[in-house]
Amino acid sequence: MSLVLFLVIASLGALASLALRGRRRAGTLVGLGAVALALLALMISTPDTEVAVGGGAVALTAYARILLGVALAGGLGVLVVGRLAAWEQVGPGVLLLAVAGAGLALGIAGALPALLAVGAAATITAAAALAQPATPERVRALAREARGAVVAMTVGIVAVSLVPEEIGGLAVQPQVAGLATVAAGIALGHRFGAIPLHARVARLTDAAPPSTLPALLVLLPAAWAVILLGWAPDTLGPVEHLLGWDGALLVALGIATMLLGAFAALIQDDLGRVVAYTIVLDAGVVILGFAALDPAGRDAVRAWLLPFLATRTALVGWTIAFRAAFGTTRLSEARGWLRRAPALGAALAGIAAAAVGWPGVMVWDARLAAFGAATDGPALLLASIAGLGTAVALARVLGAGFGRPEARVVAATGELARVPAGLRAAARAARSPAGRRLATLRLASRELRPLLELNRTPLRAFLVVLLAGLALMTAAGAFGIPEAAAAPDLAPPEQAAPAPDPAGGPAATEGRAGLVATEGPGSPGADPPASGSPAP
Amino acid sequence: MSWLLVAAGALVALGAAVAIGARATRTAGLGALVALVFTPFVADPLPPSPVLAFRIVAGTLAAFLLVVAGRRAGGGSGSPLGLPAAVATALAAFAAGLGATAIGLPSFGADEALAAGLACLAVALAPVALTRDAFRLGTALLVLANAGLLVRGALVGTAPALEAVVAGGMLVAVAAAATVLAGSAATASGGPAMPRGAAEPRRPPA
Repeated sequence: MSLVLFLVIASLGALASLALRGRRRAGTLVGLGAVALALLALMISTPDTEVAVGGGAVALTAYARILLGVALAGGLGVLVVGRLAAWEQVGPGVLLLAVAGAGLALGIAGALPALLAVGAAATITAAAALAQPATPERVRALAREARGAVVAMTVGIVAVSLVPEEIGGLAVQPQVAGLATVAAGIALGHRFGAIPLHARVARLTDAAPPSTLPALLVLLPAAWAVILLGWAPDTLGPVEHLLGWDGALLVALGIATMLLGAFAALIQDDLGRVVAYTIVLDAGVVILGFAALDPAGRDAVRAWLLPFLATRTALVGWTIAFRAAFGTTRLSEARGWLRRAPALGAALAGIAAAAVGWPGVMVWDARLAAFGAATDGPALLLASIAGLGTAVALARVLGAGFGRPEARVVAATGELARVPAGLRAAARAARSPAGRRLATLRLASRELRPLLELNRTPLRAFLVVLLAGLALMTAAGAFGIPEAAAAPDLAPPEQAAPAPDPAGGPAATEGRAGLVATEGPGSPGADPPASGSPAP
Repeated sequence: MSWLLVAAGALVALGAAVAIGARATRTAGLGALVALVFTPFVADPLPPSPVLAFRIVAGTLAAFLLVVAGRRAGGGSGSPLGLPAAVATALAAFAAGLGATAIGLPSFGADEALAAGLACLAVALAPVALTRDAFRLGTALLVLANAGLLVRGALVGTAPALEAVVAGGMLVAVAAAATVLAGSAATASGGPAMPRGAAEPRRPPA
């Protein structure tokens, strides 16, 4: 059972890491080791076959394996970048809690238990990330996060309960389907920070430790999206919605989110806020894919979510490295930064390219496929243009790097590797004929710490370049992303079938006014379709 | 309609009202205990005994965590409207829920679960939306999550064992987050009230 093994490693690693958060050296070693171990467990595992447990089913699907692997690999890179910049004690524990929660949510069949799992994971992960130190800003952010996670979970549960997966073969009352669509779409929009529900993303970016942001702002929202996208198209897609405006409302919300999010990202001076608003604007892609209620749109968004996860994780790492290099995250205070940090510039260009892609690349095609499934005509054109907002916002950051360097940029350490004088002397001694090898090695080993201290900036830049490479690989569809995204989800657990009609007629539901016989509305004895709404 | 189910549902509604409306944090924890422990009994058919036992243990643990949160938050918590108003709200919502099922609201599960879920929802919504008290917010979030479980049970039917186990874990996770929130608020502001932001307007005291 790959899933159980992974969950055990991630959960125990999270507990150990959080327990040791006050010890700098042991906490770092245990935390990073546990993340690496969980990643290794995923890499050597293979997708499971479903195992029936307690009336449900669990398995590690190919898609969940890739999603969790990208989150762990990117998260590990961000943690190491963060460790080379400043000590953030809860980073590894939060990442491991989030992947354990997301792993459980994606590995369990059925939208209802998955929503419960991801709601619990979002709440407890936020508590772990924001508990200490208890500043007023963090307390408010934790309250907002707990409130949002529980409310979104409850709304999602009620929406899914109105149209559960088990009745996929039955017709659903159109009003019920419309309301469930809107409710689930708004819950999903809240978790991603869609406008006008975007305050949580910006406040969380200000309050939470930067190395926890990939888990809180990217991985867990992605898990919400996968769960609700796994439910909606199959259960709501075949239903004609009486409300009529439900799909249009979600499409309008998605396009407005992309346009206003791009505008907000373009006017921000703080790089953390720029990253936050690029996440907000891409919430529009998810909402449009959800609004499509179409398996094609669902598969496209599932594929697109992986580059989204990798690029935003890399952006968070890039921001940490930028702040460590120049002592600020304000663009206005670091003009001309590209002269001192060309590797960071190359990484940013790679991340921007991976975020939007280009024609023929998976991320580009998947985004357009999601838009095309949801809308057409001028709205499709508008969405396609707005979808490029992330690249425009990052191009602005890159452009600021070409200006005349500010004083703090001139004073910053460059990205060239440096060797301490002691190590150079040891190397000279080793080359001399009279040099004693053992003494020279001992001398050199004493210089390792100064070597690390001198080269923190180039090491951070190197790691960010690696993160950008991971983002580019996911954008190109590496690791079998398109196939995994199109693979069927875990089947929902078997529930008691509706009682058969004693008269020998079709199986009929008892007591559920919103449903009709299994043959659908056209069958004898079925309810007539609601006025103004053609039967599905 | 089974009177045992109605009684269990009414106990859940009353427990939720006490959890939200009580002034003393221990009484609120007791109310949460009653609501969470009786929730799995508002189902038709009842879940298997091991599942019931697990939910009872999870509910007890969540209520205990809430008591810890109350101790961390210190005094000064409590509903501004008081316990009678919360009880009246819960009972009215419970009666309305029973009436809603009588006129044919779609459901696969017990009608009483919908009534109890609506009662939990009615008492939890206001503090979730408005309160600045960390302990009351945590309690309300727990009651709201319980409302979601009850409504799900009413609409879809009794949850399978695996889902019931996940639901129990979720309740404990929400209660643990409530404990952390209450402790952080007490550290930051010296009491259960969440600290205000610099830009937030301060309302005059009522």
